[in-house]
Amino acid sequence: MIDLLRILVAPVAWLAAFSAVYGLQAVLCAAPPDGTVVGLPMSRVLLALAFAAALLLQVALLVLLLSRRFGATSGFVRTVSIGGGLVGVVATVWTLFPVLALPLCQ
Amino acid sequence: MNALARHRRLQAIWSSRGGFRGLFSTVNHSDVGLMFLVTAFFYFFVAGVLAMLIRAQLATPHSAFAGPEIYNQIFTMHGTLMMFLFAIPAIEGMAIYLLPKMLGTRDLAYPRLGAYGYWCYFFGGAMLLVSLLLGIAPDGGWFMYPPLTGKVYSPGINTDFWLLGITFVEISAISAAVEFTVSILRYRAPGMSLSKMPIFAWYMLVTSLMILTGFPPLILGSILLELERTFGLPFFQVELGGDSLLWQHLFWLFGHPEVYIIFLPAAGMVSTILPVMASTTLLGYRYVVAAAVALAILSFGLWVHHMFTTGIPHMGLAFFSAASTLVAVPTAVQVFAWIGTLWQGRPQLRLPMLHILGFFATFVIGGLTGVMVAVVPFDWQVHDTAFVTAHLHYVLFGGFVFPLLAALYYWLPLVTGRARFFRLGEVAFALIFIGFHVTFLAMHFAGLMGQRRRISTYSPEDGWTAINLISSIGGFILAFGLVMVLIEVALHFLVRHRAPRNLWRAGTLEWASAMLPPAYNFASLPQVGDREPLRADPELPARLARGEGYLGAPDGMIRESLAVDIATGAPEHHVVYPGNTHLPIVLAAVTGLFFLALLLKILWVAPLAMIGVAVLGWRWVWVLGRREDLGAVPVGRGLSLPTIAEVDRPPGWWGSVFLLVADATLFGSLLFGYAFLWTIAPGWPPPAWIEPSVMVMALAGIGVALSIIGPFFATRANAGGNSPIAGLALSLAGSVAIAAALVAMLAMAPSATGHAYGATLLVLGGYGILHAIILALMAAFLIARVRAGYTSPRRRAELAILPIWGAYCGGASVVILLAAYLPVALT
Repeated sequence: MIDLLRILVAPVAWLAAFSAVYGLQAVLCAAPPDGTVVGLPMSRVLLALAFAAALLLQVALLVLLLSRRFGATSGFVRTVSIGGGLVGVVATVWTLFPVLALPLCQ
Repeated sequence: MNALARHRRLQAIWSSRGGFRGLFSTVNHSDVGLMFLVTAFFYFFVAGVLAMLIRAQLATPHSAFAGPEIYNQIFTMHGTLMMFLFAIPAIEGMAIYLLPKMLGTRDLAYPRLGAYGYWCYFFGGAMLLVSLLLGIAPDGGWFMYPPLTGKVYSPGINTDFWLLGITFVEISAISAAVEFTVSILRYRAPGMSLSKMPIFAWYMLVTSLMILTGFPPLILGSILLELERTFGLPFFQVELGGDSLLWQHLFWLFGHPEVYIIFLPAAGMVSTILPVMASTTLLGYRYVVAAAVALAILSFGLWVHHMFTTGIPHMGLAFFSAASTLVAVPTAVQVFAWIGTLWQGRPQLRLPMLHILGFFATFVIGGLTGVMVAVVPFDWQVHDTAFVTAHLHYVLFGGFVFPLLAALYYWLPLVTGRARFFRLGEVAFALIFIGFHVTFLAMHFAGLMGQRRRISTYSPEDGWTAINLISSIGGFILAFGLVMVLIEVALHFLVRHRAPRNLWRAGTLEWASAMLPPAYNFASLPQVGDREPLRADPELPARLARGEGYLGAPDGMIRESLAVDIATGAPEHHVVYPGNTHLPIVLAAVTGLFFLALLLKILWVAPLAMIGVAVLGWRWVWVLGRREDLGAVPVGRGLSLPTIAEVDRPPGWWGSVFLLVADATLFGSLLFGYAFLWTIAPGWPPPAWIEPSVMVMALAGIGVALSIIGPFFATRANAGGNSPIAGLALSLAGSVAIAAALVAMLAMAPSATGHAYGATLLVLGGYGILHAIILALMAAFLIARVRAGYTSPRRRAELAILPIWGAYCGGASVVILLAAYLPVALT
């Protein structure tokens, strides 16, 4: 079961983060928070922080899957789980980078 | 015991009852798989006839062939039958038939559940078929968008047939997914580690997990819409705090993964057949597995790309556009692995290979038009046009029907023991390939020229006449090809032309059994040391027949197999299966009575049917188990293993875990719907919030604590040789307290018909109460089992299941109360 979790954890974490950021954007558009940080609207800052947290999580998962302590001992599971880790990192960057560039609620 | 005597003994143990009546009591996976396949192909035929009616209607402008009311039913039922009654059940049928044979075991984890799923499919499909024959079939399109399908615009019974019939049929998908997941993880040949699993099993494992998490949003959406139509709970009515866009979210949370749920098993068939056709092994096995996993999970992040024209902010569009383009990457990894496999092997252009080549050409085009519609500005132009209809047919026909036909021709000799005699298949393939591309390539251009999907007619001035006529001619060529396949399959059964054993020289274990395979699959279970055991050891079938594997000396009249460790495939438990029984068909009929009562609005029958389901469920589990300890039993090759009654994690535990995954997804979808309405829907905040009650929270707190602690005490007491009844009684009391707390909460809630907020609270509370009742039934059942002597410190398996249900029920109750009271605190 642990091997199955190793294979699934990174892509599932991406899915959770992706859905959460989409939900956060909806909430921020429904009830925009006041204030700015270094000239940027608070909504933009919160979304960027969420993006950064999601990316950090993926990088941490990839490091864990690569490590001897938490990574799989079976060569097959190791390859597949690291592949999943890479998918998680790439998917996070590719699907969430719009929070840095696009209009928030238009 | 010689091979013949062993065969006779095993055949007597595993066979279904003889004759036609045996179909009603069989639980054998080969029988159930074939029943699924025959029924699915019947619906393929019916849906194909409907497709021909659509093409007849659109062949000429101002067609008087069918009026819009009938035409709406035709295209709705075409899509519904193809998606829900053909594609998914055909996958289930293939997997139910093939998986145990490929995995080197004798049956799936829960044979009766497989049969129950089939009968739910049979009765649910019959409901929809009857509606079609009576001219009252669903007519709102296969994705049933409200408000069109709400009571105001669809007052008849048509929509109810869809909502209730499909939900009934989906029981079979969920039950099959649980069965496949547990079977693939635990019921394999000894030695078959994760890295040695047949690639089809990997694809089916991924698909099953997708079904468990993809189907619940649709089931929830159907329940909510039916509640709105029957009881006036306004989930989708904007004027009462609902939002029709909620349906679109719930539907496409299911609907987009559904495409991959259909494609991935087909890709598994291609990955199995293609290397055999090229006399080689699959290139990049582990990368193909990684790509399948990635594709499956990424596909859950695409649902909004069906909603690009609903006014979603640009950032949201960008999220889903990016995700939609990303899925092309793992798909391409698989396509390149297949091309590489062909490159390294010596491909032979036999009939299954022709269909695989048809799959390549068609699916790649469908994938590319998929990337086109993932680009938002392009999607805005072609949304709801024939271009999208053409795209989805390229994906689904290319990605599913061609591989399925390849699989049909590849495995038919295994099923019948016969080889093809007439050579109709090659001509049929040519007609199918040409007919398909003429039909649907033309349809792309009709869409680009502005033809909307689902229109019943058009005028000559629109400029679509020639293109529609070409498309219709292509459609009929395609139909001729498919009829020829049907004729060839019928001839296959009629003409005795024996096939040689393992005629394709494949390496997977299904070809190690006799042709046709006996009911028990293998006279003894193999020890596997290679991903293609037959290639590594061509003598394996003879050795298995001689009883040189595990369980080669059948004892008594019990159906036995082995369960293994998930990762390594080391044998762990001795498994005893239930025999033939009418319970599955009776339980499915009573389940159907519940849906029928709702459909016909004879509402007082529905709770009676639920009580019937509970009574039969009790009986279902009661007939299993033993009253004495057995200890380790010999399983052959000098090995002895404990029985499943004497382990900590029996099959019921694993099944419960994966069933609760689906259950939690449904609950999560409900919470998503609540959050969506709260933040997005107009008409919020509601006129009144529920008032938090200390009494409710205290009662629920006690209930949650008891439902978690009770099972823990029970298992601990049993392990120490004491009676577990006190712990079980605590669980029972906990479930009663939870139910009482939620009933009290609902009594204080605003009207469920006045605003979507009250309606949501009612469904949340109802969900919690239902789970408290299930927990109470389980605790009461276990008390009865303990008193009847079915448990002991060694026979602990039954008690092991209660803690996860107790924890789930308790946890869900806490979340329900938080969801009810937190918004009040925040506002």
